[in-house]
Order: sequence, then C-alpha cells, then structure tokens
Amino acid sequence: MDKGNSAAMSSSSPVRAMVGASIVASGITKVYGHGTNAALHALGPMGLNVKPGEFVSLIGPSGCGKSTTLLLVSGLESVTEGKIEFDGQILRKPISDVGIVFQDHLLLDFRTALKNVMLQQEIRGLDAAELRARADMLFDRLGIAGSEGRYPRQLSGGMRQRVSIARALVHDPSMLLMDEPFGALDAITRTQSRHDLEMLWMETQKTVLFITHSIEEAVGLSDRVLVMSKSPGMIVEEIKIDLPRPRPAHLGEYPEFAQYAERIYQIFAKLGVYKF
Amino acid sequence: MSTGIRTSRALEPVLWFAGLLLIWQILVRAFEVPIFVLPAPTDFLADLIEERHRLALHGLITTKLILYGFIAGALPGVVLGYLIAKFRLAEQILYPIVVFIQGLPKITLAPLMLVWFGFADTPKVILTGLITFFPVLVDSVAGFKSIDPRQYYLSKSVGASWWQTFRLFELPSAAPQIFSGLRITIVIAVTVVIVVEWLNSQNGLGYLVLRAMDGTNTPFLFAILFVASLIGVVLSFGVAFLERLLLPWRRI
Ligand SMILES: Nc1ncnc2c1ncn2[C@@H]1O[C@H](COP(=O)(O)OP(=O)(O)OP(=O)(O)O)[C@@H](O)[C@H]1O
Ligand SMILES: [Mg+2]
Repeated sequence: MDKGNSAAMSSSSPVRAMVGASIVASGITKVYGHGTNAALHALGPMGLNVKPGEFVSLIGPSGCGKSTTLLLVSGLESVTEGKIEFDGQILRKPISDVGIVFQDHLLLDFRTALKNVMLQQEIRGLDAAELRARADMLFDRLGIAGSEGRYPRQLSGGMRQRVSIARALVHDPSMLLMDEPFGALDAITRTQSRHDLEMLWMETQKTVLFITHSIEEAVGLSDRVLVMSKSPGMIVEEIKIDLPRPRPAHLGEYPEFAQYAERIYQIFAKLGVYKF
Repeated sequence: MSTGIRTSRALEPVLWFAGLLLIWQILVRAFEVPIFVLPAPTDFLADLIEERHRLALHGLITTKLILYGFIAGALPGVVLGYLIAKFRLAEQILYPIVVFIQGLPKITLAPLMLVWFGFADTPKVILTGLITFFPVLVDSVAGFKSIDPRQYYLSKSVGASWWQTFRLFELPSAAPQIFSGLRITIVIAVTVVIVVEWLNSQNGLGYLVLRAMDGTNTPFLFAILFVASLIGVVLSFGVAFLERLLLPWRRI
C-alpha cells in the first residue's frame, strides 16, 4: 500500500509537537444503578496503564466491561471506586482533546453525515475550511465519499460506523478511544482502515486505546494487547506484540502472528470463554 | 408528470368541497329552509364578497391575537418543558402548580382577566397563552425526556457548553415532539381568541359574530365562520411549513 496516500489520513496541517496523554487507572470498579436489586457490578477492580503515544488494545468476552472502561477513562462515566490519572492529573471531568468512536456510533439523526463530522469544528470553534478539507479527505479515505448530504437513517450500519470514525479523527486529537470501530465494516474496508489507522498513529504519536473482538485486529495494530476476563472484567493477561511496522494486510505472513493469536485463544479457553 | 399528479391531489379536496356546497345549495332550495336557520351557500358567499373588507380587517385583528397568544403560550411551554424534563427540582416545584392550573377550566378566568388587565388586547393574549401553554408544555417535557442519555456522552466528549448542548443536541432532538404540540395548539388558539372576543370587544371576528347574531344575520354568521376556518387552515399550514423548513430530516 502506498504510504503517500494513507499519510493523507493524518493531518498535513498544524504540526502539533504533542504526544498523546497517558492513562493510569488503579483499582477502578463500576457499578451501574443504585440499590441492591438494580445495582450491576459491571467492571473491576481493574488497573490499566497506557503510556503516552502507545497503542493498546482491550480484548475480552462480550459484556465484560470494555465499553465501560472506555467511558471511565474518557471521564464520561464516573468510577465507583479507584482513581484514574490522565496525564498525571486526577480525572474529574470529561477529557476534551480526544476522539471517541462509540460502539453504537451515536450519530445525530438530525444532521447529515458531513454535519455530524463537522460538529467537532462547530463546537470546538476550529477553522472551518481546514476541517472541511480534512473531512473530505476522511470521507474519501473511508469510502463514504458521496454520502456527505445523507442523514444517518439513510446510511447502512457500516457507513454510519465510518461516519463516526471520521468524526473521531477530523479534529486531529492527541488521544483516540475506539470501541470496536471496524466491527460493522466489510473485510476489505476493515483491512484498509486498520492500515490507515496504523499509519496515522505512526506519524502522529497519538495515544490509542482500541477495543476489539478481533484477535487479528488486536495483534495487527497494538504495542500491547490487554486480555480481559468475563464480567465483571479485569485484565488477566498483557501481551506485548513485537512485530515490525507497518504490519501487512495479511498477518498470516508472520509465523509470530499465529503464535500471538494462539496465546490469546489459549487464555480465552482457560477463562471458559470458549467451550468446545 | 409528477406535477400533474400533485395538482390532481391538491384538487381533490377542492372538488369534494365544491360538491358538498352544491348538495347543500340544492337541499336548502328544495326544502325551502328559512334563511335565518340555514342559508344556502350562494347567500353567504354573496355576503363574503360584499363584506370582504370588513371581514379581512377583523380577520387580521383576530389573526394577530391568535399569533400573539400562541407565542405567549408556546414559548414558555417549551422553556418550562425543558426545565421540568431536565431538573428534578424544577419538576418537583413546577409540576404540582402546572397540574393544578391545568385542571382549571381556564376559559372561566376570562372575566377575571378583564378585571385585572382591562379591556385591551392583553387579557385576550394572556388567556389564549394560558390555554395554548399546556399542550406545548406536555409535548416539550415528553420531547426533552425522550432524548437518548447516551447522546450526552457525545456532547460532553466534544466539550459542548450548556448553550451548545441545548441548541445543537437537545432542541433538535425534542423538536419533532414539540411541533406535534404546536400543530394541535394553533387550532385551539383560533377558537379561544374568538370566544374571548365575545366577552368584550370592539373588533375581531368574535365581535362580528355578536353583531351578526344581534341582527339574526345568519348568512353573515356563516361568512364569518368561513373566514375563521380559513384562518385556522392557513395557520395550521404555516406551522406544518415551518416544521418542514426547520426539520428537513423528518422528510426522508
Ligand atoms: N448504562 C448502563 N446501565 C446499566 N448497566 C450497564 C450499562 N452499560 C453497561 N452495563 C452493563 O455492564 C456490563 C458491561 O457492559 P459493557 O458495555 O462495558 O461490556 P462490553 O465489554 O463493552 O461488551 P460488548 O463486547 O458486548 O460490547 C454489562 O453487563 C452491561 O449489561
Ligand atoms: Mg462494548
């Protein structure tokens, strides 16, 4: 894949000498709801440590608390116990220099695809022309060019997901929190997007916390893969991925890839996630 | 081709209406119904044309009051609806008052309004506002409460201020439901203004109704009713048009 083209996904404009922030969470738990009946222990106690500029994946069974972790780390939900430090500061309010891909997209029905993406510009008061150019490039890159004027209800699930990815990237944040961002994409777009994200990350030193169900994606993208246990989840294993970058579209080319994948399968088998 | 279909669609109700008038005309003439009981269409259409200046003048006065009353009721309805939906405290304080006033037959407040606010337009606008306020309030509360709470994850993560959250997230989300309140309310407002004009007025369609009754001028009464319903239809279309204009995503 040509590097010049994918470099377009990152910003050519304001050179931000900024490295992504760090996240240090210790002993965090989340209980949703109140009262003995309504309360649901969704997560933890769990520790999490993401270094500046690092690409970390969270992988784990459905319902184990991955999305909850993202909401806690972003400051959008408050922790029930424990504390989170964001760049050394105790996290008290939602972080703002961030791009989030929510699992259920959260597009606004009443805005067109382009206006959903340009929400970032409108609210943050950024340069309209510059952000518009970036939005155009992202639409093109993500294969949704031509859908700018359409409303979310007129888009397929995969298209909505791509609009929400564009919205998370358009303002060039120094931290990316992505909750199964490629889950609804077709195989080709998925591989392309994975590569684009890797290139973007390599150029910009963003900190990325990436949630996925796909072992291939986790190994294909990450510096470290954190494997979570069943609900209420905690991190049971940390796997450093020592593969050269950029990693190829077909990871099967690496014998090491199969070994990493096998290790993760083994952990899931041990946790009882798979029952054969 | 499609415009042809459109025109014939729009024409359909007009033809029905014309047919109805024709039957009405034939029946009244055939049974020789006295004109003060039920005038034939030709009778009140003649009045409509003859008195068109007076009807237009008073019709506009009434329309103005309808719009003022509508706005006076709808605007606080949306604002209070937002407060009640958003803040538990506002709900606890305001809802009992709202429920109590809602139970009150508000049209009976008319004499009191006249005592308090005199004989100008103020009491009419206030009373119309009071009556239009409630449907809008109820729909606004429902509209603002129906917002998906996850939407606030998005608004907070992009760093939206209070005002941006209201303008860019909450108001557009609640707007379809608010408009369904407004559509009902505008028609109610027409009735209310005319009834209030009966109580005290030197002008407006309600005043003309009284004049027509005094002289047992039934054809003129029908002409006034025709103008009143015309105002109702035009205002309803106005609200629907505004909705289409402001909520383009509803059309898809
Ligand atoms: N807002 C909420 N209120 C109550 N319970 C919740 C809420 N959000 C999540 N939960 C519960 O918390 C647990 C963890 O949910 P979470 O969405 O974090 O899982 P997940 O790992 O992201 O799952 P998936 O892979 O299916 O997306 C689940 O049992 C879920 O039912
Ligand atoms: Mg999830």
